[in-house]
Order: sequence, then structure tokens, then C-alpha cells
Amino acid sequence: MSAAREILCDTARAVFAEAAMAGVAPVEEAGFALLLVAEDKGGFGGDWGDVNAVLQVAGVMVPDLPVAELIVTDALLPAATVSLMAGAMGQALTLSIEHVNTRQQFGRPLGKFQAVQQSLAVMACEVRAVEAAAGALAARLDAVGLDPAAADFEMAAAKQRANRAVGLVTSIAHQVHGAIGFTEEYDLHRVTVPLMRWRGEHGNDAYWAAKLGRQVAGLGGQGLWGAMTSRSDDIFQSV
Amino acid sequence: MQGFALYPFDPPGDVAALRTDLRAWLAVNQPQGDIVARANCWASFDADFSRALGAAGYIGMTLPTRYGGGDRHPLERYVVIEELLAAGAPVGAHWIADRQTGPLIVRYGSAEQCERYLPGIVRGELYACIGLSEPGAGSDLAAVRTTARETTEGWRINGQKIWTTGAHFSHIMLALVRTEEGSERNAGLSQLLIDLDTPGIAIRPIIDMAGHHDFNEVFFDDVLVPHSALVGTRGQGWQQVTAELGLERSGPERYLSSHALFAALIDAAGADPEPAVAVLIGELTAEMWTLRQLSMSTAAKLAAGEDPMVEASVVKELGNAFEQDMPRRVQAIVDCPWDDPSDLGRLLRALLIASPSFSLRGGTREVIRGIIARGLGLR
Repeated sequence: MSAAREILCDTARAVFAEAAMAGVAPVEEAGFALLLVAEDKGGFGGDWGDVNAVLQVAGVMVPDLPVAELIVTDALLPAATVSLMAGAMGQALTLSIEHVNTRQQFGRPLGKFQAVQQSLAVMACEVRAVEAAAGALAARLDAVGLDPAAADFEMAAAKQRANRAVGLVTSIAHQVHGAIGFTEEYDLHRVTVPLMRWRGEHGNDAYWAAKLGRQVAGLGGQGLWGAMTSRSDDIFQSV
Repeated sequence: MQGFALYPFDPPGDVAALRTDLRAWLAVNQPQGDIVARANCWASFDADFSRALGAAGYIGMTLPTRYGGGDRHPLERYVVIEELLAAGAPVGAHWIADRQTGPLIVRYGSAEQCERYLPGIVRGELYACIGLSEPGAGSDLAAVRTTARETTEGWRINGQKIWTTGAHFSHIMLALVRTEEGSERNAGLSQLLIDLDTPGIAIRPIIDMAGHHDFNEVFFDDVLVPHSALVGTRGQGWQQVTAELGLERSGPERYLSSHALFAALIDAAGADPEPAVAVLIGELTAEMWTLRQLSMSTAAKLAAGEDPMVEASVVKELGNAFEQDMPRRVQAIVDCPWDDPSDLGRLLRALLIASPSFSLRGGTREVIRGIIARGLGLR
């Protein structure tokens, strides 16, 4: 991550900490609505890579505030939701790892049991997949000047993949936490309940799968590979 | 493993032109044989095709030019490999030599080994197999018992390898053997490069459940190979093999083995598929696109000299699940009799039968998940 993006994320963390108590006002006051506005128009001049990074932080810290709606246009809300989901899933994994490394049962940490290790490995794969989807979607959006129509394939694929990960990620996170993860006091539900909500918002699994499936059917068997490669090659060429 | 970010996949040169040239070459040179051979095509042996591919400069692309290689960037090779796999080209004969034996010889081998083996690998004429598994050492590779004793004449090898893919058509085996008497587990192991026509070697086929002869048992009965057969450092075999497996786990072959079936499904569905088929195509596309991003990112990280052991394992785990599930999900949605003679039907049957091996070869699912768990800090 670039130094400028690191600073942006540090700022986001500080502002979101305040917003978690006070509502969305501090986010508005800090000027996050101007994240994608060009510098010569008085904005921050950020790209979707910045939005992805900031929304991953928002997905962890303020999943219930309309931060994405503040930053992006409606047509890009599915893409924004993928970033929120990637952030929340990363947090669910972090909490799960911390829990199984500290919670002792049968005389050793839960994380020393192979059954628990295998479950968390499955979960980690899902989280990595969604982080990769969010990152690749960001690269495409930035290569096409944030035109949602030119990134339709990637947006559909990324939101579909993120949606599909929700089931495994939330269920494994709760399973390895046991009863404590089901309490209001413990932080896990602060990311798992938003994940359940985001799966159904801005297009559920079936919506995006059908849309993407029809697009690919129009390409044909060979055409899919041609389209997939030329769309990513475009990104290298524009770098 | 926290804070995973995509590594930019940015090969030098004109990538689009590299693809266009290769696709044009394949249009002329890819055998138009049985469609079923296009599935799981990195297990498909065709010496003529390998030789032609080598002559066209698509094998040993990253190897040094003084041994005939192309001295190209690893990510240029990645582009070529994913194109060959997506096209279902029969790359099985030279696959292992190109993917791992050649690079390993460059990295650890002597000048003599480089001169002796690399030009043949690059021409697509010299094939290699990997001697790792033994009857008592499968997932638990450190249980290797095949021994090589150093004598005045050379190394004396005794023991047995099993599940050795392609031993019956390969010229050389890169074997992991115990060179230090009394050593245990992952200490005292070394890698030897063994010419398979050496007296005392017996190769016997093991026919798999699809009726194919891919793997073998290989017996070593007091086999004598020269001192110069040692690759790299004596006693460092474990470390060398571990690095080699990183090359093996994250490539595009981990999600493209079933691609011929996916293409056939899309073609059979037509431009206006029924809703359930459209949803299936969309789900499979989303997973394939995501896997490609993960695989490219891991390749870029490897090319930058980093060691993405855990990411490589994530690619293998998710990729194997994807290509293993695909024929099952297609069968669940598409009405297709077991003996259906269409391309889709024949590919479906072949891949349903082949697919159990996908999460066994190159490290079982359980071992791979264990590596990921270690990366998470759980072991």
C-alpha cells in the first residue's frame, strides 16, 4: 500500500472511531464525500484503490453507517459493498484466530486441534478470495475511469463471489467462537450480522449469477476466455 | 497472513501480442483429436506436440539462452501456460520438466547437469518425473526410506517410489532419497537426478480408475549413478523440495483442469440459457475469475522473489475445490445420460471420474489446509 493510502487509512480509522459513537456526521465533516472528487475540483483526487482501502476499514469499524453511500454513486454501490464485505470478513477471521489461540479447552488452546485448524483454513481461503475479488475489481474500475458499465463483468463476479463466501465465513467464525460469539457483548456479531445483510443488498447471489451467466452465454465457450484475458490485459497496458 | 493485497501481475512486453501469436500457432498446430483429451490436459501425453511447442519457443521460456531457453520473464511464461491450458493443449509429456525440473536444475544444478539436460527439456524432447512418494511416504513425505549410499564409484540407490506420474515415458527422475545413514525425518535427505535407463531400475504401471496409465511404481535395485547425479547440496533435499512444491501449487493448472467442460457447458447452453443454467454459468465464472486473480497475484509474488507458500496453498485449495465441484454441479443441473455421446456428455463423464484425484495430487487437501493453518499462526 502506498504511503498516501496508509495515511488515508489512518485518518479513516480515527474518524470512524469517532463516528462509531456519534453517527455519520464526523465522516461527512472529515470530507470523505470528496474522496473520489478530482483535486482541481476541491476533492481528494482518490481512485477506487483508495475507496477499497477505506471501505474495508469501514466494514470493520462502522458497518452500520452509510459511509459507502457518502462516497460513491448508486451504480457503484455493489462494488463498494464488496469492499465492506472484504473488510468485515478479514475482521471475522482475525477475531476467530485470536479466540482459538487464547481459549483453552481439554488442556490446550482450541487452535491446536486439527478439526479447528482445518475449519479456519477453509474460512481463510474464502476471506482471501473476497479480498482478491475486491482488489481485482478496484484495478478494473480504475483502468476504465470508474465506468460501471465497463466494469460490469468484474462487478458481477466480485459481488457474486463475496456473497457466496458469507455463508462459510459467518458460520465458521461463530462455530469456532462457541457461545461467547453469540453474545451481544462480544464483537463478532458487529461484523457477521452486517455480512448477512450485505449479501442480500445490491444484488444477492442469484441476481448476479444470472446476470453474469447471461453475459457469458452471449460470449460462448471460447469467448469467455478471450474476454477474461483481454479485460485483465487492459489493466496491465494502462498501468 | 493478515492484510492480503493483490500483487500486480504486470509482465514485460506486449502481453496481448504474446496471446495472439500463441493462439494463432495453436490454431495450426494443436491436434484436433478427441475432445476428452482437452480436459485435464496437463496429463495428456503427445510427444509430437511437445516437440513442435519446443521448436516454437514455448518450453523452457525462462531458462538461460545458453542452454536454449528463452530468458523470458516468469510472468510471460505464465501467460503462455494459461493459454495452453485454456485451449486444452496436450502438454503432459513435457509438463513436469518445463514447470519444475528445468527451473530446479538451473537453481541448484551443476553446470554439467545444466548442459546435459536443459537443451533437451527446452526442445520438448526430454521428459522428467518426480520421485517423492513411497509406499510408506505419501502425505508424510519426510518418511522417505529409499537410500543412496556414496561409494567410490558413485551413489548406490535402493528402494521404491510410487505414484510416479509419467515415469514410463520420462528420461530422468528427480528423486528425494536418504543419503545420510541413520538420519530421520526431513534431515539427511538429498535430491538425485537419475537417468531412468540406468540398469537396476524397474518401472511398473499402475492403472487408475479411469483406465489410464499415468502413474507407476519405480523400483531401485542396487542402482549405480555417478557422483555428479547429486543436485544442489547434500543433505538439503528437504529444503530444495519444499521450494520446488511452491512452483507446483499455485499455477493456472489448479483451476483450469476442467475448463474444457465449462466451455462445452457454455456452448451447449446457447445464447439464451434457461435460468438454472445461466445461474450455474454465472457462479462458475465468478469463481474462475476470482481464482485467476489469486493465481496471477501469487505468480507475480513468486516472480518478485518472495515466498508465497500460504497464498500458493490457498490457490490450490480453492482451485481444486472449483474444478472438482464443477462436473458435479453440471451433472446436478444439466440432464445428461451417463453414455451421452455429445462433447458435454463425454467431458462430464471423464471429469466426474478423474476429479477425485484433483485434491490428492500435489499435496492432499488436508495437508494443504494444514499449511494454511500454520500460516494463520495456529500450528
